[in-house]
Amino acid sequence: MSHKLTDGGQVMHVGTLSRVEGEGAMHIEYRDGVVTDVQLRIYEPPRFYEAFLRGRSFTEPPDITARICGICPVAYQMSSCWAIEDACRIEVTEEIRLMRRLLYCGEWIESHALHIFLLHAPDFLGYDGAIEMAADHPQVVERGLRMKKAGNDLMDTVGGRSVHPVNVRVGGFYRMPTRLELRALRSRLERARDEAIETVRLVAGFDFPDMEQPYEYLSLRAEQGYPIESGSVVTSSGGAFAVRDFTKHIQEFHVAHSNALHARLDGSPDPYVVGPLARYSLNSDRLSPVARDAAREAGLGPMCRNPFRSIIVRAVELVEAYTEALRIIDAWTDSASPSVPVPPRAGEGFGASEAPRGTLFHRYVLDDAGIIRDAQIVPPTSQNQPSVEADLRTMVEAWSDLDDHALLHRCEQAIRNYDPCISCATHFLDLTVDRT
Amino acid sequence: MTGGAVLVVGLGSPDRGDDAVGGEVARAVAALAPPDVEVVEHEDPTDLIELFSGRSLVVVVDAVRSGTATGTVRVLETGVGGEPLPETAWAGTGRAGTHAFGVAAAVELARALRRLPPRVVLVGVEAAAFDYGAPLTPEVAAAMPDAVDAVLCATGRGGLPTDGRMGTDVSR
Repeated sequence: MSHKLTDGGQVMHVGTLSRVEGEGAMHIEYRDGVVTDVQLRIYEPPRFYEAFLRGRSFTEPPDITARICGICPVAYQMSSCWAIEDACRIEVTEEIRLMRRLLYCGEWIESHALHIFLLHAPDFLGYDGAIEMAADHPQVVERGLRMKKAGNDLMDTVGGRSVHPVNVRVGGFYRMPTRLELRALRSRLERARDEAIETVRLVAGFDFPDMEQPYEYLSLRAEQGYPIESGSVVTSSGGAFAVRDFTKHIQEFHVAHSNALHARLDGSPDPYVVGPLARYSLNSDRLSPVARDAAREAGLGPMCRNPFRSIIVRAVELVEAYTEALRIIDAWTDSASPSVPVPPRAGEGFGASEAPRGTLFHRYVLDDAGIIRDAQIVPPTSQNQPSVEADLRTMVEAWSDLDDHALLHRCEQAIRNYDPCISCATHFLDLTVDRT
Repeated sequence: MTGGAVLVVGLGSPDRGDDAVGGEVARAVAALAPPDVEVVEHEDPTDLIELFSGRSLVVVVDAVRSGTATGTVRVLETGVGGEPLPETAWAGTGRAGTHAFGVAAAVELARALRRLPPRVVLVGVEAAAFDYGAPLTPEVAAAMPDAVDAVLCATGRGGLPTDGRMGTDVSR
């Protein structure tokens, strides 16, 4: 039999309004308790942008690529800035790196708060969605909105806008926010940090299906602190390489069922995972004391391999983002130049940062006039596609006793564990399960 | 934000073909509406919940796909005392969705949180294509005056909905 679920936001039915953000589908075939086929079909905009960037000026990618995603524009801005500055052999100042980190905290906050409270928590509390959850738990949803708003305010102050920041440029910023402007955010961020600690406690009390991912984890690791805006690459099997060697280790390849590229690490046929679980498992020793305490209290060990528990890890990362934002604001002085000059130079440059969903890699080739000759963008959700499919394969077989409705819900939940990005890589139009 | 009682929100991505229509209509409305009508553009529907605060009327304009002819302008009204938007509204806006949290979901979440303004008017323009970097399809571009009119009419600040002419075109 066949059971079809429609969801997504890109197609509206009678008389209503919709956000339309690309298309994708999940197809699962299932025979006699065994999954015979799992296909994640996604529509992937970065390919369009890679072509669109060729022939443009090296100053344009931060603005152009930020438009790939309304949820993680800062990730695109930061990875593109690092890559172009690398091609031009320019290093920015420590103050610029810190301001980038602060802006990035705003994006993590917006993205993680949205996902935890409006998208993921209803799964665990037994609601169809945030609307139904809000009727019984208005204070939980209000808390989530307040926490997200603190991120919007931070993005507004540093980025000039809460969506698609306009203050970012190659070499730094157009204008640094003042100490006074930043201090004005303090009380909201402090309250939100305390609410994030409460949130870790709340979500740690949810019921989690037993599941352990055996896959390789990949994340950035910074010289100090939890990886957000920069770092070099590390993996759970002990691998370590510079961002400029990313394409030597990560090979992208086409699969027949999706127009998005899949990615493979060091030629392995097994999937690898980027995102909060990988980031946490490879960097839990780098959390601030307050976030580390929250993680310990929530029962997280130094690694977390249960994708359903990613909601706890995101909450811990929220504690880290607010804490880190407060640390940067408290130490800020008004003495820093907003940018460094970046004269164009022929060459190839590489940049990566930790988007809320995982490592986002950019590569650019410039000519001596600074015109982009080649561009490559590897978004986190494409890297996670094979592991999403593998998780579904495992779970559908493990939950073969569930009825169609419950099984579909579990599958959706399994997909939501990855917080797949609306625009960066995927949007699920249809989820079909065929049982014969 | 100045916090005026009447707010017009244009929703959508400027880079996604017909999804840009919300912002385009908002900009046209901004040029025509009196100063007490505030006009903003946003891309994230969850922002609506915050934007609703303290308003008596919010008009949201966005692309819609409901199966009618491309360029059709649809108006849906709700508010504190109004009927909840129909169940089918969520099918496309993330009720069981993987990520999306759409306009209708944002309206109903605001209702559940008792944050819905007395009046909310949703103006949808039936869209056809959402390709990256694409311009508005001709039918959607041609519907702009009607959509602008519908927004101005909803604000009670002009608009001639019966014949679709631009609301402030007093020369006719």
